[in-house]
Amino acid sequence: MSRRLKYTLGVLLVLVAVGAIMLPSLRRSVQDLSKNVRSEEQARREVMQPQISTPTDTKVKAQMFWLSDTSSADLAPVTIELTLSADPVLRSKQILNALIDDAPAPERRTLPADTTLLAFYLQPDGTAIADFSDAISTQTPAGILSEQLAVDSILRTLAANVSGISQLKILIHGQDTDTLAGHLDLEMPFPLPTTALQAAPGAQPASQPQPQPPAKQPH
Amino acid sequence: MNSLSVVVIDPAHGGADPGARGSAGIVESEVVLNFARFLRIALEGQGLRVVLTREDNENPSFDDRSAIANGQHGAIFITLHVSSTGPAGTVRVYSEPAPTPPPPAAGVTPQTGAANPSRSSQSVQMPAPAFSIGAPAAHPGMVNWDHAQDSYLDRSREFAALLQAQMSQRFRGSPPTPLLAAVRQLRTVAAPAIAIEVSSVSIPDRALLDQMASVLADGVARAVADFKPIYEAGAK
Repeated sequence: MSRRLKYTLGVLLVLVAVGAIMLPSLRRSVQDLSKNVRSEEQARREVMQPQISTPTDTKVKAQMFWLSDTSSADLAPVTIELTLSADPVLRSKQILNALIDDAPAPERRTLPADTTLLAFYLQPDGTAIADFSDAISTQTPAGILSEQLAVDSILRTLAANVSGISQLKILIHGQDTDTLAGHLDLEMPFPLPTTALQAAPGAQPASQPQPQPPAKQPH
Repeated sequence: MNSLSVVVIDPAHGGADPGARGSAGIVESEVVLNFARFLRIALEGQGLRVVLTREDNENPSFDDRSAIANGQHGAIFITLHVSSTGPAGTVRVYSEPAPTPPPPAAGVTPQTGAANPSRSSQSVQMPAPAFSIGAPAAHPGMVNWDHAQDSYLDRSREFAALLQAQMSQRFRGSPPTPLLAAVRQLRTVAAPAIAIEVSSVSIPDRALLDQMASVLADGVARAVADFKPIYEAGAK
């Protein structure tokens, strides 16, 4: 074996040894990188959905509707403690953000985790308009059942916690959309279930806005 | 008198729209096409004419599918779906709920101005409905295309009840009564119309769904036979 060949083999062996040593840390770096992508998604959502708080916020027991833990075809009420505004629009935003973020378990979600509530409006006639990001359409499992459960969870949760809303129109990214995810018709507003409608403590009907106390001055 | 002579079967999705897809590779558009072929055999065996809204892997629009149904006399409409979720091996039958009464102010316009949720309704000339149920059309012989189903809600519910009863007998865990859901495909059909959804594409083996096809077809054929006299009594 020539000296040159020995030298080349030696260099190759050193490179293989260095590669073997570096491989685990390289794998960890790739994994960290994929985790960072998720973190960026979360950060973006946090920027899009700043914490909503108002001077009228009070802690209340809110009734939320997520998937039942015994049947994937049904919703079940879950009572959680939330800090909610008396203003019906802000209260609705807080409630819907909690519906997206605070499911007791991932398998009980009705709305995709990446969904963002972009805007919420309430007309004097009681018609509410909720504008969601594309994720509600692209990531909700396709099907009549799953799409209806998603919409029902929104309607029943709003009905249980906000008064003054009679029907809800759903927009996706500001647009009127044919279906939620290929099945459920979004053309018309959905009536809120009247049986679940209850006077939410501190909430006011849309037609009678509550005078707001002056906002706290920043120090 | 109009007799029930045509069943329009709509295998949902197709073409570039596969519908629901399971992790094991089960595709809704393929499964429902298989179901439709079994249904056709069972219904033709009863002397009914069967029209499929698609015969292969193509994707007619919602309106194209409705147009096929609305061009028939003495027809009922069945759209077939397989869900992403729900207890495996169960079947749910849906009909369209009553329309939401319009709010006092016409339409709604969000402050963004990005969209106007109120849609212009198109009125088109269609074959005179087999019978009139519910609110009459604004002009005789004219049906509001966007809400063509509104005149058939009661008959659709009756058909759905008969069909769900058959499904709950055949597929354990299926609900005993039908459900109401704003299924987009149903809204523009000017005939008694229902949706059938089977659970689900999330099962590990498509064989379970394929085994359901003949039982499903038998139940649908039985429900159609039960519904025929109700349909024809309403058409007198």
